[in-house]
Amino acid sequence: MLKLNGIYKAFGSTKAVDGLTLEIHEGEVFGLLGPNGAGKTTTVNIAMGLLAPDEGTVEIGDGRSPLDAACRALIGVAPQALALYEELTGRENLTFFGRLQGLGGRDLKSRVGSALDFVDLEERAGDLVKKYSGGMKRRLNLACGLIHDPPLILLDEPTAGVDPQSRNALYDNIKALRAEGRTIIYTTHYMEEAQKLCDRVGIIDLGRLMALDSVEGLINSHGGASVLVVDCGDEEERIETDDPVADLTRLESAGRLKSFRLDRPDLEQVFLNLTGRKLRD
Amino acid sequence: MRSIVALAGKDIRLLQRDRVGFFFVFFFPLIYSIFFGAIFSGAGEGGMGAVKIALVDEDESGASREFGRLLEESTAFNVTRSGRAEATDMVRRGDQSAYVILPKGFQESVDRIFQAESIRIAVGVDPGRKAESAMIQGLLTQYAFRTLQDTLTDRLSMRRQAQSAREMIEADDEIDAVTKTLLVRFMKEIDFLMAGLPESGGAQSAESGGDLAGFGDWSPVDIDVESVLKERIQPRSSYEITMPQAFVWLLLGCSAAFGVSLVMERTRGTLIRLKSAPITLAHILAGKALACFLTTLGGLAILFAIFRLGFSVRPDSYPLLLLALISAAVAFVGIMMLISVMGKTEASVGGIGWAFLLLMAMTGGGMIPLMFMPDWMETVSHFSFVKWSVLAVEGAVWRGFSLAEMLLPCGILLGIGLISFLVGVRVFKATAD
Repeated sequence: MLKLNGIYKAFGSTKAVDGLTLEIHEGEVFGLLGPNGAGKTTTVNIAMGLLAPDEGTVEIGDGRSPLDAACRALIGVAPQALALYEELTGRENLTFFGRLQGLGGRDLKSRVGSALDFVDLEERAGDLVKKYSGGMKRRLNLACGLIHDPPLILLDEPTAGVDPQSRNALYDNIKALRAEGRTIIYTTHYMEEAQKLCDRVGIIDLGRLMALDSVEGLINSHGGASVLVVDCGDEEERIETDDPVADLTRLESAGRLKSFRLDRPDLEQVFLNLTGRKLRD
Repeated sequence: MRSIVALAGKDIRLLQRDRVGFFFVFFFPLIYSIFFGAIFSGAGEGGMGAVKIALVDEDESGASREFGRLLEESTAFNVTRSGRAEATDMVRRGDQSAYVILPKGFQESVDRIFQAESIRIAVGVDPGRKAESAMIQGLLTQYAFRTLQDTLTDRLSMRRQAQSAREMIEADDEIDAVTKTLLVRFMKEIDFLMAGLPESGGAQSAESGGDLAGFGDWSPVDIDVESVLKERIQPRSSYEITMPQAFVWLLLGCSAAFGVSLVMERTRGTLIRLKSAPITLAHILAGKALACFLTTLGGLAILFAIFRLGFSVRPDSYPLLLLALISAAVAFVGIMMLISVMGKTEASVGGIGWAFLLLMAMTGGGMIPLMFMPDWMETVSHFSFVKWSVLAVEGAVWRGFSLAEMLLPCGILLGIGLISFLVGVRVFKATAD
């Protein structure tokens, strides 16, 4: 669905993206992770056609470039910043962005209704956006990106700053979009979100792709060993292990095992292993 | 106390780092003071507001040449000599503030000052400069007094006048014999007195005013103020003069508001969504420009309707007024685009934009009439789109401009609009990433 071939982009002497090659398959939810300043936003902007790469190509669908304005109709965007007009109502925002996508008449009206229904905002559709809560604005932000029914959706930290209820509602929306067979590129700083939603995850740092696989695959290849935490009565023992069953059997037979806990590596561990613990900004 | 000092220090540091705030605190007052200081102190070559006049000498006599020379040497006037038709046109076009005509018989009127004649002068003043009209009349009266003073101190001239008066009295059959004898004798005595005086002197300074006491309503100069405008069916309203100013302030407001709104697209994130739509940046900017243009035209139409219906303002030409308004609107749309790239935040664009617009209004005569400005500032006013906007609208409303005469202000406005828009778009594109 989306191919980035050898993308290179620099701002002055700073390399933002350094030879990134990536293919995102149709119908998958692809998580793009990286520390601040890793090049995520630049990559997303290049994928959206907002920026032209210094080198490399971007292909959408059957080889079209997002720099071609017409091709951008294939993309829906929910930017991290709430790209909404606060002095317009929710319905007016959707109608306006629908018109920009070339919709009109009954089709537009129907799409606006569907989008409002999808994010559960029909009842407040006539209210000015400035009266919405943060979660409602996030949902409307997503709806505006979906108004033209795009096959490729870019979600840039769509759950930033929202409460757990709204976050869960957005998760449901994303799952529903995946069920419809849309391709989703998802950037986030919440690792549990990526672990829960993404089929595959790419981790980038310093403008380069550090790892690319399914969540399970990344954990297996970059997460390190599991840690078996054993209560031996007088003390707690931590054992790094690749075969916890064998270790538990050994402890049991030695009569040392009272209780245990198995700490498996997660995506956050993978992320820290690949990008380090040093602060980036 | 330490915390109060810390708070004060923090606020001063924040002010130093807020460039817009810093500009308004220090530089804008400086610009204002220089502007008004230059106006009120008469700074610059040519002094304060030397009034531009076209001088028409139809008498071409010694007296008229002398009067013309006085005006040319005056620092109060900036004199251009021309014919009557050309002078009228120059005033109507706003190139000159007024014309002064020294009509045929000027010399005679000077010579017959003792027959209660006044020096005759015709003046045509730009109706948009009514304040100047009174000033010009005052200045002309002052120079007429100086001419009178010269006459009174000129022994030969006085003798000539006394002899002329005596001949008139002798030829007048309506004066009875006794009065005639007395008056003739009186004139002979004056002639005799003047013959005995030295070459100059013998009369008090005209500037002291003492020698003119007792002249009643008589004035040494009879200034005939003429209309420089073409014949009209309806009487003029002073609102025809103020309407263009109202238009300009509406245009300034629209430019500033839309300039800020374009920055808001950027700062509030909506520009990203606009740019991700299947349209080009040119579409986005064209949409913004169209909104500004239509709002401006709509506002101008409403204002005009108010002036038309409420104050009976009737333009000379509706098509030319439309041309003027479209040209002005185009100029201000371009300025809007330029303003939008003057800063990166709403506050900075709003502040710098208004400062720029006020500067243009000041130098373009939108606040203080151009007449009060020093010559160099009047030259600067040529760079102000405010000046050209006012002139274009005035040209269509009451100056009676022809289409050819409208081309200059309208062409300049369209040029300003186009160049400003292109520069703004270029900077916007360069910084949009």
